[in-house]
Amino acid sequence: MPVIETKNITYTYSPGTPFQMDAMTDVSIAVEKGDFVGIIGHTGSGKSTLVQHLNGLLRPTSGQVLLGGQDIWAEPKKIRAVRFRVGLVFQYPEHQLFEETAYKDIAFGPKNMGLPEEEIDGRVRRAAEFVGLKPELLEKSPFELSGGEKRRVAIAGVMAMQPEVLILDEPTAGLDPKGRDMILEQIKAYQQENGTTVLLVSHSMEDIARVAKRVLVMNKGRVAMFDETAAVFSRAEELTAIGLAIPAVTKVFMMLREKGYPVGDNVYTVEQAVGRLLPLMKKGGGTDA
Amino acid sequence: MLNGITIGQYFPGDSLLHRMDPRVKLVLTFVYIFAVFIPQNWIGLALAVGFLVFSVAVSRLPVKLVLKSVKPIIPLIIFTSALNIFYVSEGVHLFDWGFIHITTQGLVTAAFIGIRILSLIAGSSLLTYTTSPTTLTDALERLMKPLKVVHLNVHELAMMMTIALRFIPTLVEETDKIMSAQKARGADMESGGLMQRVRALIPILIPLFVSSFRRAYELATAMECRCYRGGEGRTRMKQLHMNGMDGVCIAVLAVLVAGLFVLNFVIPAAL
Ligand SMILES: Nc1ncnc2c1ncn2[C@@H]1O[C@H](COP(=O)(O)OP(=O)(O)OP(=O)(O)O)[C@@H](O)[C@H]1O
Ligand SMILES: [Mg+2]
Repeated sequence: MPVIETKNITYTYSPGTPFQMDAMTDVSIAVEKGDFVGIIGHTGSGKSTLVQHLNGLLRPTSGQVLLGGQDIWAEPKKIRAVRFRVGLVFQYPEHQLFEETAYKDIAFGPKNMGLPEEEIDGRVRRAAEFVGLKPELLEKSPFELSGGEKRRVAIAGVMAMQPEVLILDEPTAGLDPKGRDMILEQIKAYQQENGTTVLLVSHSMEDIARVAKRVLVMNKGRVAMFDETAAVFSRAEELTAIGLAIPAVTKVFMMLREKGYPVGDNVYTVEQAVGRLLPLMKKGGGTDA
Repeated sequence: MLNGITIGQYFPGDSLLHRMDPRVKLVLTFVYIFAVFIPQNWIGLALAVGFLVFSVAVSRLPVKLVLKSVKPIIPLIIFTSALNIFYVSEGVHLFDWGFIHITTQGLVTAAFIGIRILSLIAGSSLLTYTTSPTTLTDALERLMKPLKVVHLNVHELAMMMTIALRFIPTLVEETDKIMSAQKARGADMESGGLMQRVRALIPILIPLFVSSFRRAYELATAMECRCYRGGEGRTRMKQLHMNGMDGVCIAVLAVLVAGLFVLNFVIPAAL
């Protein structure tokens, strides 16, 4: 049974005004437990709108959101409990920090859950470790940290709630390549260690290719594709048509295959590419080595 | 959650009223507000209301919207009307009970006052519905220019107003986002006693202040980078121009005002 599922959800911002906006139309997806789903789409395609439905921040205009088979809006009063089970890290989450110390800020979520002190302490330290925050930084004011460190504190704040489903809305936006890779690795490690279901929104095909098992492509508020990563990237032309590009390496390898080189498919990262090319070069073109 | 808030209630459109020079529109609105108080007889009042209905038709705004703008003041109208009904003692007495007298004259006065207040509010809301807040400040700046004589820095005032207006929607959006982010971490804003609710605001207010200051600094830097140094010798991108249509509008309102005065002489007063 899928851990989280949407059934034909549709959402309209500011209905009945001149600013009415259908941000999402008839979206039905199902995510299995322990999956790692990448969500990609053009700016304004409704990615953020979709993920805010999954933890009940937005209520669909029509349709249902099911968590563990239960409609999350069956009892609107209990929606807070849903938010502890589905953790959502917003776009630019560093703007939401407010406590005196990073430690207290990470503890905000677990505290709201009403956990005992020792439990909170354990969770805060574990979450901080996962995102690579040094223990001495925990006692600093979040406003004294660098941009990347703030981002880590904010992500740790949601991880510390230990949700069954962790959703991250563009966690790597505005970070340098190294910071980006580190955060992705940490999220991946967290997912593997805890068996958490992870949904990751990103603009970067490279990021998604690196970590996701399945990819959801959104276009103009609708689901354009939802499939295994390899299957989605094999539809390069459709992706280009909706303004998305497959990773550059993948494109190069597709061209190589067209030219008749036996390089195989499913190449998304430079490391993979090196792995495929080296044996070929050793076999065939060792002339100038 | 904050979706319902529309600041300045501007309703975009392309009608004659939308395209009018905002200065003319502003002045004419004030003139109309006074004009509503001229008529002393039913025909004059009908004419003033008729002009308003005509303007609403020209603006092509949904009638519902204009009605919505007068809704908040209905209690006030009921209150003033009631006072008039009970305290005016001239005219034919219809009902007497202790110190309360309902007379024909009282009813007429109440109706006049009620209709005047309604037209006044609907008329001024027509201005704010058809003019964006920034355009309105622009017009205000122009109209208040003569106040320079008394050393009022009109340009700076207008600039502050424009910036404030410009950032209200941004701030609303930001508040919305921060609230969602804190709710996602289980912040509880809907239950608990007063103290608890006030405390629940801290996680929202602090990030909001921090980002407002950040924005203010960024804006100031950006303005300086583009060599902003006050209003002295500054030209405008959007020049305000009056055209023939504005003249026609001025003439129409002038005729209305004159007509209302004349009617007061020709027809016996109802008040
Ligand atoms: N609070 C809001 N009020 C009105 N319209 C909104 C609001 N939030 C988003 N929208 C509109 O809904 C559409 C989808 O927005 P959404 O934020 O979900 O896109 P997105 O895919 O996350 O884009 P991005 O990649 O830029 O983050 C956009 O056209 C946007 O203008
Ligand atoms: Mg988004």
